[in-house]
Amino acid sequence: MNKWIGLLILFVVPAIAIASGRPASTDPAPANVAQGRQIYQQYCAACHGRQAEGAANWKKPDEKGEMPPPPHDETGHTWRHSDAMLFKMIAEGWRHPFNKTDRLTMPAFEDSLTEQEIQSVIEYLKTLWTDEQKEYQATESQ
Amino acid sequence: MNAIVFRLKSALLRFFLITLAVVLPTLAHAQSTGDSQSVKALTSNPSGALVVLRASGLFAIGGGTSTEIPLPTSDAGAQPTSLAKGADGSIYLAGPGLGVWRYNSATNSWQALNDTLPDLGVTAMATHATQAGTLYAYLGEDGMFRSRDGGAEWVKVDGGPREPVQAFLHSDMPGSMESGWLFAGTTRGVARSMDCFCFWGDAGDLRGTVSAISYDPAAPENVYAVVEGQLHHSNDGGETWANVKAPGTVTALTFSPVHGFVTAVEGGNLFAHGDVGEWTPVYE
Repeated sequence: MNKWIGLLILFVVPAIAIASGRPASTDPAPANVAQGRQIYQQYCAACHGRQAEGAANWKKPDEKGEMPPPPHDETGHTWRHSDAMLFKMIAEGWRHPFNKTDRLTMPAFEDSLTEQEIQSVIEYLKTLWTDEQKEYQATESQ
Repeated sequence: MNAIVFRLKSALLRFFLITLAVVLPTLAHAQSTGDSQSVKALTSNPSGALVVLRASGLFAIGGGTSTEIPLPTSDAGAQPTSLAKGADGSIYLAGPGLGVWRYNSATNSWQALNDTLPDLGVTAMATHATQAGTLYAYLGEDGMFRSRDGGAEWVKVDGGPREPVQAFLHSDMPGSMESGWLFAGTTRGVARSMDCFCFWGDAGDLRGTVSAISYDPAAPENVYAVVEGQLHHSNDGGETWANVKAPGTVTALTFSPVHGFVTAVEGGNLFAHGDVGEWTPVYE
């Protein structure tokens, strides 16, 4: 009897989760987060800070007339963007339209990172936000 | 001799008093008429008529005629101060004590959109340039609220700029991380944010209390702001500003599909801005 119940849990519960079109839990898998953290430290931390604290005075243009890298933690505005927008910015890069230079101040990573790796960075960033911010961002991502 | 001087003085005094009695009421009436005609906000409706919020009421001006639109029934003390046109052409009215209302031109009636706002203290509102259901309301210390379903549900999205917002605008100027830009006229100047509410920064160095703000939908980098009655124009999305000669002290602005750029000046007259910078009266 116990064996049948075990088999039911093993096969039926994941099948229901797949049929519902979403994972059983909305929390990112720890492996994804760990990978995202490692990629963040390798590719992003040099500009956005090891603790994702961003540049000092990131709300004002620097001496070159460029907007400095913002924080990605709860003090920044990353949590205000949908998953799709965050993915686009990491993949394609970003230049603030009022920068005085023409270069992409946020470089494009689509040639360096796979889609799965970019997604894992986004999952890591989500661990830096408050519950309220996560909820706001989840709504923006719908 | 003294008697002559006395009579002369008496005659002069009588003349002065009679003059005062005649002129003062006329001046007071003129002042009162000017006040009642003063324009607090401007927009246009889908047929191209200007919608004019005067101290004396709300009017649609088109084809040389003016038609009064009855204001929504509200509590005493409500002050309609803001007008906006939605992306679908709907007209919105807002103000302290009034909240936000939408006009139904088919039934000539107003619908209150205040069920989920924390209170009615809306001091400025804006409509999204391209998304018909997206509205923005500024409630002073309560912050900024956004509705994405035409006012059924309002959600607090931000605290707003540091200084109080007097005028509010959404623009579809390119370059935003999301769908456009927000411009807020504050007591310090013009503040600007992408419509993700990422952060508010100064739009250039225009300083002073901004009472009205508008932009050219056909060329969105062109933004206009009124600071203490003076009209200013930016052709680079708010980075730099230049003074524009206006036909008077400006109280309200809008872009109309029929008239183009229209200003209202003190006293209530409306003027359309021509291609070579001339101002032409818009007659009722």
